[in-house]
Amino acid sequence: MIRVENLHVVFNPGSAIENRALRGLSLTIPKGAFVTVIGSNGAGKSTLLGALSGEVTPTQGRIGIEDQDVTFQPVHKRAKLAARVFQDPLAGTCAPLTIEENMALALKRGEGRGFGRALREERRALFRERLKPLGLGLENRLSDRIGLLSGGQRQAVSLVMATLAPSRILLLDEHTAALDPRMAKFVLELTREVVAQYGLTTLMVTHSMADALAHGSRTIMLHQGQIALDVADPERQSMTIGDLLEMFSKVRGEEIKDDKLLLS
Amino acid sequence: MNFLNLINAYAFWGAIELGLIFGLVGLGVFLTFRALDFPDLTVDGGFPLGAGVAAVLILGGWNPWLACLAAVGAGALAGLATGILAIRFGVLHILASILTMIALFSINIRVMGAPNLSLLGQETIVTPFTQMGLSGLYARPLAVGLVVLLVTGLLTLLFASDFGLALRATGVNARMLRAQGADSRAYTYFGLALSNGLVALAGALFAQTSGFADVTSGAGTIVFGLAAVVLGETFFRSGRIWVMLAACVIGSIIYRLALAVAMQNLGSVGLQASDLNLITALIVAAALIAPKIRAEMRQRAARKGAAS
Repeated sequence: MIRVENLHVVFNPGSAIENRALRGLSLTIPKGAFVTVIGSNGAGKSTLLGALSGEVTPTQGRIGIEDQDVTFQPVHKRAKLAARVFQDPLAGTCAPLTIEENMALALKRGEGRGFGRALREERRALFRERLKPLGLGLENRLSDRIGLLSGGQRQAVSLVMATLAPSRILLLDEHTAALDPRMAKFVLELTREVVAQYGLTTLMVTHSMADALAHGSRTIMLHQGQIALDVADPERQSMTIGDLLEMFSKVRGEEIKDDKLLLS
Repeated sequence: MNFLNLINAYAFWGAIELGLIFGLVGLGVFLTFRALDFPDLTVDGGFPLGAGVAAVLILGGWNPWLACLAAVGAGALAGLATGILAIRFGVLHILASILTMIALFSINIRVMGAPNLSLLGQETIVTPFTQMGLSGLYARPLAVGLVVLLVTGLLTLLFASDFGLALRATGVNARMLRAQGADSRAYTYFGLALSNGLVALAGALFAQTSGFADVTSGAGTIVFGLAAVVLGETFFRSGRIWVMLAACVIGSIIYRLALAVAMQNLGSVGLQASDLNLITALIVAAALIAPKIRAEMRQRAARKGAAS
């Protein structure tokens, strides 16, 4: 479960470039729900995810994961509860390390790291078993440097890495935005499977309205740091992008002008 | 031309000995420069610190091995000082390390009570080997070599552990490391302490094999370490951690051998001993620049290919 109460985030407060990225946002996501988040540039999508992961410190409000108040918990402490896939495929993996070394890093997320050997045969077997369903042949390339993989392959591995250690929530930050359409579709399918398999409470930020409506069971649209729309199944199931835009202009009394949001 | 004509046995074994000692510096620099991405100049003060601590303790009747351990501890403290300046107080990392380095010059003189100390006739880690009847020429590289072998082995085990993987990720992708639940700052502290502990150990060995500790002996330590790292990487490209570590030591030995050959044959090519620093700087600069130039050449070739 994720509980966000009256969350405010202000960047560079009191200066000429002051940016009120989140303005009193409240949101409750029940355990196991898969919520997609859309919004134009500057709407606060990434800030919300940053606040949930701990990279962004709120100026006001509270954040809870399950029954813990994590508002001021640093990123590395919160990692036990929250797994994450970044937008940039380079950000979620460590290029000079091998695939198996990256996976071993992820396997110990939220645990103490000891001096025992990181690459043991039983771990390798686990890594192979988890990579095989991807159908990318990566299970035979465990000792290749992960920097040799394409962005899509790295994102797929990142997703697998996010599920190696137990977690309560999964945060996906436009994790298909940097991929070509074919690979983006593949990673989205994989996301759907992974979320269903592990029953993770998931927040997926996306730039694509179509993807937002096609995945999960609830879609929220952010606008100027607040939730402008919040639609859930079954109402959402029959909705089109047009419906969503119409609802938005009805609620806010203005049109969406972000081409990227409309076209993708 | 025969290699043996270029270098005599004394110079050869001397180069091996120095190469091994500065191989430890190479390992330390590899840790900060490559794993932590933290250009750490503390080592220029940490090397004489290790030498001074070991020398004072040996002169005070300590067991030389214990003196080495104490040197490692002193070096680790120096690394932590740099870490506190850089991480806790946000001083630019290279500047933080320069501050520690400068401070260490004064501290080293306090530790030694004099700018230099002689260890001639004292019991050192080399003594057991010379007592076995071995000439000092071979005993010194042997004693140092055993230490380096042990350290490299322990480091390999460390880097292959869960803890070590996180250490290696610290400088490459600290954001990812934090997202994986590891406190990147803690790893940076540890890495700096370990790196400077290794460099201080090198200083302690240097004092014992050369028979003196001198407060000025640290000048250029960072460059010798870098030379070992970049030469090692040039000769051994591998993703295996034990190869990467061994490459630092071998790179250091190659560097010292090349230097020894150059020293003996300087006159014949019109160089003098004082030119060696310039040559070292050029070698390191070339090795650091090479990957960038290769990438640019590849890009240019690709552009040409696309245009035609």
